[in-house]
Amino acid sequence: MKVLVINAGSSSLKYQLYNMQDESVLASGRVERIGMDSSIVTHEPVDKPEVRNVSEILDHVTAVKRVIDMLTNPEFGAISSLNEIDAVGHRVVHGGEAFSSSVLVTQEVKLEIRRLFDLAPLHNPAHMMGISAVDANLPGIPQAVVFDTAFHQTMPNTSYLYPIPTVLYRRHKIRRYGFHGTSHSYVSAKAANYLQKPLESIKMITCHIGNGASCTAILDGKSFDTSMGMTPLEGLMMGTRSGDMDPAIVPFVMNKEELTLNEVNSMLNKHSGMLAISGISSDMREVTEAMIEGDKNAKLAFDMYAYRVKKYIGAYAAAMNGVDTIVFTAGVGENSVALRKAICEGISFLGIELDEARNGERRKDAREITTDSSRVKVLVVPTNEELLIARDTYNLVKQSETVS
Amino acid sequence: MHIKTVGVVGVGTMGQGIAEMLASRGMDVIIIERSEERLTYGKEMIKVSLDKQIEKWALTQSEKKLIMNRIQATTSNERLAECELVIETITEDLDQKKAIFESIDQICSPDVILASNTSTLSLTELASVTKYPDRVIGLHFIYPVSKIDLVEIVRGLKTSDETFAKTKHFVEEVINKKGIMVFESPGFVTTRLICLFINEALHVLEEGVASAEDIDSAMRIGYSFQHGPFEMADRFGLDSVLAALDRMFREYGELKYRPSIVLKKMVRAGHLGAKSGVGFFKYDKDGDRI
Repeated sequence: MKVLVINAGSSSLKYQLYNMQDESVLASGRVERIGMDSSIVTHEPVDKPEVRNVSEILDHVTAVKRVIDMLTNPEFGAISSLNEIDAVGHRVVHGGEAFSSSVLVTQEVKLEIRRLFDLAPLHNPAHMMGISAVDANLPGIPQAVVFDTAFHQTMPNTSYLYPIPTVLYRRHKIRRYGFHGTSHSYVSAKAANYLQKPLESIKMITCHIGNGASCTAILDGKSFDTSMGMTPLEGLMMGTRSGDMDPAIVPFVMNKEELTLNEVNSMLNKHSGMLAISGISSDMREVTEAMIEGDKNAKLAFDMYAYRVKKYIGAYAAAMNGVDTIVFTAGVGENSVALRKAICEGISFLGIELDEARNGERRKDAREITTDSSRVKVLVVPTNEELLIARDTYNLVKQSETVS
Repeated sequence: MHIKTVGVVGVGTMGQGIAEMLASRGMDVIIIERSEERLTYGKEMIKVSLDKQIEKWALTQSEKKLIMNRIQATTSNERLAECELVIETITEDLDQKKAIFESIDQICSPDVILASNTSTLSLTELASVTKYPDRVIGLHFIYPVSKIDLVEIVRGLKTSDETFAKTKHFVEEVINKKGIMVFESPGFVTTRLICLFINEALHVLEEGVASAEDIDSAMRIGYSFQHGPFEMADRFGLDSVLAALDRMFREYGELKYRPSIVLKKMVRAGHLGAKSGVGFFKYDKDGDRI
């Protein structure tokens, strides 16, 4: 069985085509900087050279079309026709309380994902466009959705409730859901594997730092607390999102600037974070470069960003009464040597001894970046949400075939 | 039928708002005007409106670009053949509107819905010049289109149930606004009530009971209106308010619809409200009150 995995983020779309017989990747690729005039499509077939082109891709629908064209291209594609794809698995950010595991896409599932638009305004609409574009291009194909919130369903109510009138939880299900669950789940298992210890025995903090960013405290092998909340806006400072702030700022700004709900929502989700502080970019690479060139605002953005990660690591170490392992993953976490250094150097009291040479290495596998004598191990573990999504999709489709 | 491409004929204040709203919701929009100048001006005003939203953090530059890319401008009605829905929003002049409907009726295939944004004119009369009057319907949007989530869906005498059902579906499911069903009658519900409100405010002003500023404050703060009657009139365009009142006065023959003398005088002086910079209050070129 061949499974296509689509991971549509707020400004990027990653895809992988798996042969599930041996979980091998037939082709993978990504569309980056969606919404800009210089979008980059990188298509990597396993047995042929990489194809890369820069063009204007303004929305996700076009991006999915471009992906399908790539996969079936006679020259550098991985399959000869669309019929070879047996199922499509999608990453979906918000599953609310309705989904505590992955499911096959039905009309009801689509409706539920739409209902959750308010809670994940940057993501669920993009996922729906992905699902609809697949419907249009590959009619009748089974599709599965894998939710970012599912892994965090193990959190105790002391972690997931907000100290506000409880009627709001009962009426509107206002609570912490947490996100990047597939990634936190995958890298925590990988890290335990790397350390050759059972996951249940490790007090772990996983830091998924990409365009969106979250930290998770993993205790007894399960998500105990996580920094993103009811929506992906809470917690760490991000590319364009504010993360934690005084909630009273919202009504105050709405009143002073005469903003509507929609405007204030967009301000916090799309016009804040590193973009707002640096005034340069939401991209860590560009901000770091500007900082090195001496830009003061870029340095402030970088410092605030690192400081806020550090605060969460400290909080979760206290929450679990200790920490054994810290994991960095996702675009920024895997690649920004400078950011990892800034975070780890500031929390040496916890027992972290960063090895600068190891931290500076650029590799694609799981690795340790602390010294051998460091009491707390800090690892860089490349995430692979796609593989987990492909497995779930494969299993769901198999199950439904045996049932019918 | 899935509506993907919508034609907007006439890119005045309402046409700009409708085109911008449709493109923001992901539809392809073809805007049509009589001349290149008017088209360019219309497009420019849509950009100004989007820029104002960026200032308020509601949009990003790339979203603006995406929206503008969905709007195609042309002076030729022929392009309407690509549309599944056409919304006419030219000036409230029956003869001009009739000419437009006669023309687009021939260009668009019979299953395409032809809608008019008229606030006072007879849909039945507009439909009378078409071969397929059953597909003619009223879609009365309210200014500012992107913020006001109400549309009057107006049935003419011959509008079919199917046309109404499709239009209602479009309004409520595709553009996510509340659609109310209105049977043809001058001014429908919204224009009839609001113009009487404005006209009465003008009488209060004429009688020297209170100043325009104070009357506006009374209604805005006292009864939770977003704008008082005078700023509202300035934003609609005083000429549009006058035209609507004139039309209702003629149709109903009742004195309460007779436009206030002050209103007529201001229109004659070219004080048309926000769009001309001066009405009851003063406005800058972005339409903000000075």
